[in-house]
Amino acid sequence: MPLKPGDRERCATGVEGLDTILYGGIPRTNTVLLTGSCGTGKTSLALEFLIHGAIRGENSLFISVTENSEKLLANIIPYRFFDRTLVRSGRLVFVDMPIMYERLGLTKPDLSMEEIDLLVSALASLAKELGSKRLVIDSITSVCYKLKTSEKIRDFILKLSKALSDLGCTSILVGEVPADSTSYSSFGVEEAIADGIVLMANMERRGDLLRTLQVIKMRGTMHSRAKYVLDLTPMGVLLVPLLKGGSTQ
Amino acid sequence: MSPELASAQQIADELLEMPEASAVSLQMSVDNYLDVIRGVVDLFANKKKMDTIYVTATISSEAIKRVLEALDIDSERVFFVDCISHIMMGASTAAQDEKTTLVESPTMLENLMLKVEYLIRRSQSEGKVVVIDSINSLAIHNNNWILSELLHILVSGLRSRDAYTVILTVEEHSTPDISNMVNLVCDHGIHAGKLREG
Repeated sequence: MPLKPGDRERCATGVEGLDTILYGGIPRTNTVLLTGSCGTGKTSLALEFLIHGAIRGENSLFISVTENSEKLLANIIPYRFFDRTLVRSGRLVFVDMPIMYERLGLTKPDLSMEEIDLLVSALASLAKELGSKRLVIDSITSVCYKLKTSEKIRDFILKLSKALSDLGCTSILVGEVPADSTSYSSFGVEEAIADGIVLMANMERRGDLLRTLQVIKMRGTMHSRAKYVLDLTPMGVLLVPLLKGGSTQ
Repeated sequence: MSPELASAQQIADELLEMPEASAVSLQMSVDNYLDVIRGVVDLFANKKKMDTIYVTATISSEAIKRVLEALDIDSERVFFVDCISHIMMGASTAAQDEKTTLVESPTMLENLMLKVEYLIRRSQSEGKVVVIDSINSLAIHNNNWILSELLHILVSGLRSRDAYTVILTVEEHSTPDISNMVNLVCDHGIHAGKLREG
């Protein structure tokens, strides 16, 4: 989609349906909270964003907090467009956060403000060193558990977003919320700071469970706010509009 | 067309006259269901060498494969979106493979669209056709509002991708509402059922 004068440059996610919803993609350098309960496809969507970036020649970095990256790669959907040479060539890099914690000596369950600065600085240095233009942290919720207070979480996400944005990096922070949550984040802070919120959910309709996606906010672009149904396929994430069937709810 | 039921050849001949990327309503009788399958699949998959995405909500994909085999029709280019086998709870032996995609229930219309979309994207064939068998079977499980919405979105999407759509309607099970819904999205209608006299 051609940009009009004044439009922000886009970072196309490569997920055709999502790029249509966002009128071309995520505004470049935005930090987006990709949130939802378990089994809704957050990690798959985030990975696809990075793989498409790497295919387009943008260095992409996946920081795995909860799952060992080797296990993650073993369980990856057999995407037809995924080529392991992207990993071997360093275009797509996986880093395990627990190893970073250990190297930085951040082994305590509760990080101090100084340690938060150290962590932000280490993540930014890594992104700079690798020339990353796309970054995913999966999940930010797990990192937040080490920060404990709202002030520290706010401080961490603000500083990290600014550092990554200054590097020209577009970031996705994967958030986890309980299935019955009415909030977009576990700590209530992440959603307020992020430039965008993409909500993934399981929706029950007459006994059928549908995976849905909805863009709640995205600074720097117009976007659809409708709910879409998605499928995780070897061709990537596919989206179609949720059928309303005359429902008024 | 004679007052008798249309043959597979007659159905194929009528379909052949349709312009590319048309949406066609094919009204048939329960008595010439097999002729219709034969006419549609043989024309698009074999004569026109198009990938044929066959959405079945009436009988299982296994049953249709057996029919095609019995009729000696090559099904190499036929891909099934099977909306019925999963809810048959083991009564059908249809399994997910390269040629068959199962939808859990005919009520999951968005998943039906997603599977069609997946097969369209995967297809290397220049021409494609999507056959919906049948709107009446889908109407057993869904209300007319949601079915109308499905047809509108599905047919518009397929048209923009230059794919044909063929919607099968069983005249004995049809209602004016269903006919109106199909007529609204289709460019052409073929009557292959028991022709009305006069």
